[in-house]
Amino acid sequence: MKAGNVFRLHNRLILSLILIAVFVWSLFSIKWNADLVHSGGIPTLLQIVEGLFHPDLSADVLYLGFKSAWITLAYAVAGMFLAIIYALIVGTLASGVLTSNKATRILSKVIFRGILGFTRSIHELIWAWLFVAAVGLSPYAAIFALAIPYGGILGRIFADMLNDVSEEPIKALKTAGANKWQTLIYGYIPIIWADMISYTMYRFECAIRSSAIMSFIGLGGLGYQIQLSLQDLKYDRVWAFVFFLIVLVVFVDSWSNLVRKRITERKKRGVMNTGWNSVIFAFFLILASWIYIKLGENAQFIELLSHKNIEAAKRFFSGLIGLQSDQPAFLDADSWSDALKLTLETLEMSMMAIGFATIAAFLTVVPAVRSIANGTLTGSSKWYNWILYGMVRIGYIFSRSVPELVWAMMIIFIFKPGLLPGAIALALHNFGILGKLWAEVIEDMDARPIRNLAMAGASQIEIFFYGILPTVLPRFLTYILYRWEVIMRTTIVVGFVGAGGLGMDFKLAMSFFNYTQITLLLLCYMILVIIADFASESTRKAVK
Amino acid sequence: MSSKIMVEANKLTKHFERKIALSSLSFSIQQGELVALIGPSGAGKTTLLNSIAGLVPLTSGELLIDGQPLSAYKKGKVFAKKMGVIRQQFDLIGPLAVIHNVLAGKLSDWGMIKSLISLLIPQEKTLAIQALERVGLNGKAYEITSNLSGGEQQRVAMARLMVQNPEIILADEPVASLDPARADDILAMLTNIVKEKKQTLITSLHSVDYAKKYFTRIISMRNGEVFFDLPTEEVTDDLLAELYHLKNGER
Repeated sequence: MKAGNVFRLHNRLILSLILIAVFVWSLFSIKWNADLVHSGGIPTLLQIVEGLFHPDLSADVLYLGFKSAWITLAYAVAGMFLAIIYALIVGTLASGVLTSNKATRILSKVIFRGILGFTRSIHELIWAWLFVAAVGLSPYAAIFALAIPYGGILGRIFADMLNDVSEEPIKALKTAGANKWQTLIYGYIPIIWADMISYTMYRFECAIRSSAIMSFIGLGGLGYQIQLSLQDLKYDRVWAFVFFLIVLVVFVDSWSNLVRKRITERKKRGVMNTGWNSVIFAFFLILASWIYIKLGENAQFIELLSHKNIEAAKRFFSGLIGLQSDQPAFLDADSWSDALKLTLETLEMSMMAIGFATIAAFLTVVPAVRSIANGTLTGSSKWYNWILYGMVRIGYIFSRSVPELVWAMMIIFIFKPGLLPGAIALALHNFGILGKLWAEVIEDMDARPIRNLAMAGASQIEIFFYGILPTVLPRFLTYILYRWEVIMRTTIVVGFVGAGGLGMDFKLAMSFFNYTQITLLLLCYMILVIIADFASESTRKAVK
Repeated sequence: MSSKIMVEANKLTKHFERKIALSSLSFSIQQGELVALIGPSGAGKTTLLNSIAGLVPLTSGELLIDGQPLSAYKKGKVFAKKMGVIRQQFDLIGPLAVIHNVLAGKLSDWGMIKSLISLLIPQEKTLAIQALERVGLNGKAYEITSNLSGGEQQRVAMARLMVQNPEIILADEPVASLDPARADDILAMLTNIVKEKKQTLITSLHSVDYAKKYFTRIISMRNGEVFFDLPTEEVTDDLLAELYHLKNGER
């Protein structure tokens, strides 16, 4: 075997080994001893677990739960509505399909893709914080904070979809005399329409979770109630509100699954009648959300632009760029070296988090596969397979419905502030997502080679290592890297509640109105996000 | 030829919801026979092979493999010594190297530890290399399987069967997606190996010509029933014409 041949054969193995090494390295950033846990940490853990099994379901909690769930939903809907508008406009411009020559196409791609990249690289909670700092507490702060990063993500995906449209139908339209706008409306949009809706529905589920955590900067909703109950140490109430959040997420998830399934079925069968119920429902939701925000919360858009707010925003942003400071932190070498240390810590936290999540998902994924539970994949099924399947799947739903920030707030009661609680909180949220994605990869596998292995007498474990793992490993690695990117963005958020890294310092700087420090930390954070994007993109290409 | 009966079917019946796939099939196959299953699409050839392989539970009827009922083979590892399956080239794990796909035929003999080590350092390498040479794939042991052509992949599947070395081989349309030259090649190789090792072969085929050329006995099926079951030399063109004759209203 030649050296190149060895790499080609084992490139996935080599990459896996590198990832494991990086994970182990990140573990060294923590001093492993009893000092990690609060003195009352274990009893608190028991109390939290007890609350899980005896949630407070009294009438006033239920009333508050329904009300906060509605606020959370309404903000998410309104935010997504604006995000879609933003994504449609900027995404179309970023794809360059409206330009007529090469130079303007490249220019338009670079500029608008840059805008989309910038808006999505900053986490929605930070946008919310910046808005609140600039214009004060208003539902619009939450809605815009949601709309901007979500619009950035949606816009980028829309642009990619537009660029992937095949040439022929577009050329045919052009020869028929269609201008740019007509090719867009008659060609591009109808071709990618179904995929756009699918992806938007998927993002909507994420928006619910994001909207819930908006509350942490003082904007109502489920997260706000969770936070209040945690401060009162009423864990039974905490879980009651967490259950409300889970139900809301599961509801949106099943709606979005329904819509996506209809769309794929319609593609297959070529029928055009289904889906009107969902359209009407979506329309009603958007209308109700905006009416509620306008009337129920009495939010005035004009008020946002009042003289007072504009002055405050001016002060805030001029503070950020250092106009009010003689010694801006981002021009100071010592501040930079401190911030870079925090950046490294944040990086380690993200690696630990994805490592923990990967281990947990790896240990649980096999029973979570439907085709293994019912025996269609391996040709044999045991009675306990379905019980295991149900248990693991419920665990996954639980894990991914609760936002990282909520996990972090609970964990910080058990562990002392530092990198470990942050990593655990991130891992708790991501292991459910990773497990679900992986299980779907195995479910989509071609079952024939696997059954043939079973026929050749391979045991379950041999089937896993010879049949399943080699086939799914590239997709597994892709999903690990993709989740790591997401975790990178979220590290800053778990830091807010004291889970270490850049986020903790960011919160301090916010509290002390240390504006130039905020700018410095944001710069470091964006460097991290860009590095993570680049590293994961290039490794993913190497594995393919 | 010994007179050991390898497969004995007694009134095999299989219903899929409302459709009858097999209706009261009976036959017995002796060791060393080369049997071709022919008949129009939907006649039940694949269902029959799958039920002999134990992949599809029968609605009723009795099936004896080497004198024992199918249900007696509880352990997959024991059954794998009795029976092996080859189909179109969808039986291999694409991303694995060829040698691992061949050695997968040994998994029934190996323990877990040995199988896992083998993924890093191939065990019983000479056995695999010999099998690959026999099917004409010298020097391809370390290629990624999915990079091979359809015909080559089918040879890898045969090499795996040689390593597994079962007493009965079931082949479901083994040459369906190959061009005529390669199909001829594969069938010649398969029947030669089977004769050498005194194995028993049951193959479903679309092509009557191949059935006549390589097999000693032809069982034809139509609508889930045996239409004729004859030694190859007694199969006449009239019988074949009748087998594939379209009924009115059938397309």
